[in-house]
Amino acid sequence: MAGAFTYVPAIAALPFLAFVVSLFAGQYMPKRGAEAGILATAGSLILSIWTALTVAGITGSQTYYNENLYVWIDGVADSAVTLQLGVLVDPLTALMLVIVSLIALLVHVFSLGYMNDEGETGLPRYYAGLGLFSASMLAFVFSNNILMAFMFFEMVGLCSYLLIGFWFREDGPPSAAKKAFLVTRFGDYFFLIGVVGIFATFGTGLFAPVEAASGTMASFPQLAETAIEEGETFFGYGAQTWMTILGLLVLGGVVGKSAQFPLHTWLPDAMEGPTPVSALIHAATMVAAGVYLVARMYGFYAISPTALAVIALIGGFTALFAATMGVVKQELKQVLAYSTISQYGYMMLALGSGGYVAAVFHLTTHAIFKALLFLGAGSVIIAMHHNENMWDMGGLKDKMPVTYWTFVSGSLALAGIVPFAGFWSKDEVLFEALIHGFGTDGILGNMFLLAYAMGLLAVFFTGFYTFRMVYLTFHGDARTDTAQDPEPVRWNVKAPLAVLGVGAATVGFINMKPVAVLTGAHIDFLHKWVHGPDEGGWPAALSTDLVTYEELLHNVPHIDPAYPIGGEQTTLIVSAALSLGLAVAGVLAARSLYDVPEPVEHTDKLGGAKTLLMHNYYQDEYQVWLAQGVTVPLARAADKFDQGVVDGVVNGISSVSLFAGSRFRRIQSGVVSNYAALMTLSLVLLLVVFVVLGGVA
Amino acid sequence: MAIESQYYLLLSAAVFCIGVYGILTRRNALLFLMSVELMLNAANINLVAFSFYHGNLTGQVFSLFTMALAAAEVAVGIGIILVLYRNFEDVDVTKAATMRW
Repeated sequence: MAGAFTYVPAIAALPFLAFVVSLFAGQYMPKRGAEAGILATAGSLILSIWTALTVAGITGSQTYYNENLYVWIDGVADSAVTLQLGVLVDPLTALMLVIVSLIALLVHVFSLGYMNDEGETGLPRYYAGLGLFSASMLAFVFSNNILMAFMFFEMVGLCSYLLIGFWFREDGPPSAAKKAFLVTRFGDYFFLIGVVGIFATFGTGLFAPVEAASGTMASFPQLAETAIEEGETFFGYGAQTWMTILGLLVLGGVVGKSAQFPLHTWLPDAMEGPTPVSALIHAATMVAAGVYLVARMYGFYAISPTALAVIALIGGFTALFAATMGVVKQELKQVLAYSTISQYGYMMLALGSGGYVAAVFHLTTHAIFKALLFLGAGSVIIAMHHNENMWDMGGLKDKMPVTYWTFVSGSLALAGIVPFAGFWSKDEVLFEALIHGFGTDGILGNMFLLAYAMGLLAVFFTGFYTFRMVYLTFHGDARTDTAQDPEPVRWNVKAPLAVLGVGAATVGFINMKPVAVLTGAHIDFLHKWVHGPDEGGWPAALSTDLVTYEELLHNVPHIDPAYPIGGEQTTLIVSAALSLGLAVAGVLAARSLYDVPEPVEHTDKLGGAKTLLMHNYYQDEYQVWLAQGVTVPLARAADKFDQGVVDGVVNGISSVSLFAGSRFRRIQSGVVSNYAALMTLSLVLLLVVFVVLGGVA
Repeated sequence: MAIESQYYLLLSAAVFCIGVYGILTRRNALLFLMSVELMLNAANINLVAFSFYHGNLTGQVFSLFTMALAAAEVAVGIGIILVLYRNFEDVDVTKAATMRW
């Protein structure tokens, strides 16, 4: 079948080609390699849209695709495991492909304004990095097994390192790049063990079953479910416990990549990279890789209540924790960095508390509005000649209207004000956490409610820091000469902003669940998109659909919805009103404090709390202490053991033979008569022995 | 009247022991070489004696080859002694001990 699915690998291959072209031929191009990147990502976007249309059943009858395309290593571990690379396309993949290639295209265009027009050098390297990043992220998205996903996960991390450290001649970026690399690698270490564990346990890493000539190859979430039903044991653990262990190991990689507590510290530092990179990597796509991975293998997490509780708690806590730090930051991109961490916390909260659709929805809307905010920040930074301190801005509203209005659109979405995108998705996240918290018995339900409470509180802080940022940047009087006379930006900055600005305002309409529930109209399109058709089609064949997940959630960890306040409609209205009210309260608080001609630093009144927040709760300090106070002495002790005991034994043996040799060599006198005497003596001795023993035979 | 074989063997043993004694006691390289020749010729006497005892000529032919070999050996040996003298101004074998460890 020569439909869209045949060309899915090309979605990643095109940006890879752009990477090669930019790297080797970029310096001969007028835009230093940007052309290749823009063409390639535009091609990827077209192919992605075609793929999405095919999945929707519009351009073909085959609405899903899952094939192993390439045998990487045949018959590892006594032919038990075959490592393969393949492509899985289901609605989740199609949605993510469109998002990633869209953002990648817009970021490439924006880079023309941010990098080329600013006269940066080393641009072929920059565009090559963007191309490789887009390629690995897209390949990660359509990976059909966890090993392939891991490989591209690592590639994404590598590109992040290369791009954060783009300005490697300054002090900050290389250090930030190293930090990002090391912190995410720390998480990926657990991920790697998890991948090995999954292969050792199930013999396959497939996310979804593959129809092969030799029969159906089951996926590991299915095998895990069967194992739990049949009460098998693995390595001395019950199936349930073992799945939880594997799930938490993989979660290590997710926590690192999606910048969740306690491995979030790399993301704010990563803002040292060029702003388009921040938009592409640290907001819309790479950080999304972690959350996407959980969504991808949701069937596996859905069978482990402990893992779900951990995900929900990490998510809820991170959402609140990061939001409070965002309140005091002075630099535009720092505020956005903490809001990114916080928003990914919401997605984790949704995934953990059984709100699969809500998480995917928030992932979608966040990609749009966070990319918008970062690009808007980039536009402001161009205008401000690379000064990012918000206290040096002010009054930019009238000087850069396109940036201002799009930025406000993104901010309203981030704060969660109706009807912008963020409202619909964040509201659904909180709603799902609430009803599942009430509907689930025991500790698990209480954990969900706790996570919900933290998420709800974070809404207020989100509204506050978002609009503190907006008012400080755009409103009031200009506080510096640069802000008085900002540098104008060109079309290549405004066009991506406009596209995303419209998107941030409207993308929430794909899943207006409150409206759908209240009016009974079936307009929750995203819900239907991941739900799948009732009969046949991909859900039955791939088991990556909402129906399967809801069944799993109901059967294994017994997560069910319940409506504490009246029926579904009342609960929905109360929940939405609560989160909207808090968001509006946050916005109004920011407005009353900062929407004045000469704003002052009100957060100074927080006193010691502000110091704590400015130092990010001393997270960096304690991690440095962990490294220097614990790991270094431990490593030193291990080194002592290695040098002393292990090497000591080897050296001891060699010194014995050295000593013996030094004594034994003295018989080599160099005097030929001695040798002759020795030979004669030996011969005589031999003869005597023969005589005594009575001859040879 | 033929001489008994054992006397040849006694002669051979005596010559061999003289050779060994020479090697163990002498320091002059030329005498060293002569002692080696004595030991070689002791072996030759043995070969001829056994050949005579068994009544075939193989041993005698073999001893001819051995003599040819001994001649070649002497040529090489004399060459070595010449070099020894050139390097150490002496033909004392105990002095050439510089190439040990």
